Amino acid sequence: MRWGLASRLGSVLALVSLLMAGMTGLYAFQVARDLLVQASKDELMTATQVIGRRILDVRLDASRDLQVLTSYPASLALLQAPSAQHAAQAEQLATLFELIMAANPGYFQIRLISASDFGLERVRVDRDGKQLLRIEGDDLQEKSHYTYVSDTLKLPAGSTYKSRTFINHEHGAHAGLGQPTVLLASPVVNTQGEALGLIVINVDLKGAFSRLAADLPAEFQLYLTNREGDFLIHPDSSKTFGFDSGRRVLMQDEFPATKDLVAGHVDQVLLEADTGQHAKEPVVAAFTANKFKVINSEDTGFLGLAQPRSSVLQRSHALGLTILQIASGLGLVGFALALLLARWVTHPLNTMSIAVGRFSMAHPILDLPLTRQDEIGQLARSFDEMQQQIQQQFTELQANRQELEHLARHDVLTGLPNRRLFMERLDNALARAKRSQTPLAVIFIDMDHFKAINDQWGHDAGDAALQWVAQQLLNHTRKTDTVARLGGDEFVVLLDNQVDAEQLAMIAQKLLDSMREPWMFDGQPCKIELSMGISLYPQNGETADALLNSADNAMYRVKSASRNNYAFAPKT
Amino acid sequence: MTFIDSDEALWQRVRQNKGMDFDVFAVNTAELQRYIQASLVSPINTALIPNTVRQLPRFRQLNHIPGLVQQGKVFGMPYTYAEMGLIYDRQQVTTPPTSLTALWDPKYRGKVLVYNSSSHNFTLAAQSLGFDTPFHLSGTQWSAAVNQLIALRRNALDFYTEPEESVELFRQKHAALMLANYGSQQLQLLRKAGADVGYAIPKEGALAWLDSWAITRNTKKAALAHAWINYLLEPAPSQALEMRQGLANTVTESAHLQPQDRIIWLQPVESSERRQQLWERIYSGDRASKVLGP
Repeated sequence: MRWGLASRLGSVLALVSLLMAGMTGLYAFQVARDLLVQASKDELMTATQVIGRRILDVRLDASRDLQVLTSYPASLALLQAPSAQHAAQAEQLATLFELIMAANPGYFQIRLISASDFGLERVRVDRDGKQLLRIEGDDLQEKSHYTYVSDTLKLPAGSTYKSRTFINHEHGAHAGLGQPTVLLASPVVNTQGEALGLIVINVDLKGAFSRLAADLPAEFQLYLTNREGDFLIHPDSSKTFGFDSGRRVLMQDEFPATKDLVAGHVDQVLLEADTGQHAKEPVVAAFTANKFKVINSEDTGFLGLAQPRSSVLQRSHALGLTILQIASGLGLVGFALALLLARWVTHPLNTMSIAVGRFSMAHPILDLPLTRQDEIGQLARSFDEMQQQIQQQFTELQANRQELEHLARHDVLTGLPNRRLFMERLDNALARAKRSQTPLAVIFIDMDHFKAINDQWGHDAGDAALQWVAQQLLNHTRKTDTVARLGGDEFVVLLDNQVDAEQLAMIAQKLLDSMREPWMFDGQPCKIELSMGISLYPQNGETADALLNSADNAMYRVKSASRNNYAFAPKT
Repeated sequence: MTFIDSDEALWQRVRQNKGMDFDVFAVNTAELQRYIQASLVSPINTALIPNTVRQLPRFRQLNHIPGLVQQGKVFGMPYTYAEMGLIYDRQQVTTPPTSLTALWDPKYRGKVLVYNSSSHNFTLAAQSLGFDTPFHLSGTQWSAAVNQLIALRRNALDFYTEPEESVELFRQKHAALMLANYGSQQLQLLRKAGADVGYAIPKEGALAWLDSWAITRNTKKAALAHAWINYLLEPAPSQALEMRQGLANTVTESAHLQPQDRIIWLQPVESSERRQQLWERIYSGDRASKVLGP
């Protein structure tokens, strides 16, 4: 393809379409990626809030269980004065504990603790692996020196005590030993309003959270801290409960953005961590403050969920790829359309230009797109109009030229060939005669008394006389003969076959006789006579001039002798 | 700089990586013994610590302080100490306590705060029972001490580990009496918090821990460790100890002590493992038969 209009227009359009597709793709990708990251963050925050709420639900569930257990008659009966039925009641209560613990895998322990006997446990069921153990006899312990006992005993009936989260070091606690635990407890109160004991549920903090987080994607990491920011739950368990072994491993150290959260300035924080231990695998994380009512004060914990940033961005990478494909597709379609468009625009132009280039009278432009309603149609119609004008002018010019040519070779008055044409024909006839060794003859004719007609009747009469003579000469010669007017009242006839002298004499006589036919001018009969000299080829000359001169001389002899007669040029 | 809040935590941290994680650490004289036995500490070159001349006479006679010197080599440099006196609420305890047995007084049931420590508490029980060698229990003394500690537990409001925690508990739970493991430090904190408290040294003698600097055996910066110890014996850091922490220093005399007060420097106990095992059971609420059982 030449670097013509089509290619230029095509490349510009194609470039524009590619650029547009690329820019649109890029912009769409940026916007979509930001939206995706924001959506992921929002999801993360929502998930964190949902888990926070479900933790409250776990607490409410435990509270309800405590209400059921503290109001269960056997609980109070066991704490009152000893009776014969104690064993049966303890059995009943232990069975109930077991049922509740079987239904709640997040409970480590349920105990009935008496206010008397230094907080001796009366009924206790421990979880031990998959088993539930009923603790009895010497294995029951005294717990009055734990504040969860003394604090709960001070509470009114129906209220719930919640401990801070701690690592349970109570010897013999089975599955709960050494595990992050939260205690929930309610007093068992007699009719006098006196707390005789309490029911305590040890909640498995880690288990509860793992179960709550179980339906989250595996890549989500769960964090829980106490109000100071010490990690209670961390993907790296060595960072949890640092304070229990004299260390502080704090959320605000690992995630500096949570300082405001710990300080109580905000309730939730969305952050991206990509420094320190998160330098290798940056995470997006959401932390929320979860407030729990505790005796005399409000305990706050911070809950966090983190997700690798790469997994957030992975979704946007997939999106980017899709956008890239769409943009490339659109770009290619645009490219092809641009080329087609350029071709569509320039094809008719090219066709017209070729057609116009070939234009001539023999090849009129036929395939112009005249019916199109656009600029190209307009251009085509202009071309067509121009073509028609040219054709018309050309035709006129041709006609003018033919007329001029006729005028140049004919006598205007009589319409007979003039001297020029006659001489050409005579030359041609001579050439033919020389080749074929055939004779030819020239009759030189002059009107007698033509001047008198002019003088007597005027020039119009002279003209009319000349015209009549010409007509008569034509009428009485053969079609093959040439009758010409040389000028004035001189005519000449070329006879290039049948030219023996006898015949010539007959013809000459016939011409003289034709003048005797009556001719009228202006109602008056007018007499016209001719003097004729005849020369023959080759006898009277071999050239046109020689033949004409011979005929002329012969004619003059007639003129000077008798007029109204003919004579042959003498043989030389 | 790493902070720890109990002897056990210190032992675990230092032992964890054969002492490689630290260059110098502060440990009480009683505890120091197991570090020496485990070859975790190296002898201190006292010539590199010229500030020892500033110390009070009783801290310069290192041989008279049990546990610092072994086979003629000094393994600890005393720098702060605290006696474990009794802190009492002047509102509830009108007569200042004179004996450790006040902790067992049924009058104060559920109002007594005790430090959560296996070694000290057995020593405390032995002192209250009048045993001659409270750091070395033998024979039937064990069951007597266990029973005495169970009785203490039954009288206790709670067992604390950190000074701040003890102050919070003392005030919020209206404790009457507290064995002040951190001594004057707790007294200062309580008074700062507005509590009307008194301080008494029991006639059985107040156990006192003496914190000494020890240098780890595997340190690569021994010179720097010596320089650190020397610096902390200067007047300014010693004063800061008293002002900021309420801790006594080894350069000037303490304001809380009377000349007649009896101080007993902590000594290594006969078996910290056994004391710990028994204490865990006692603290968890086991009764005597279970505590002394297998």
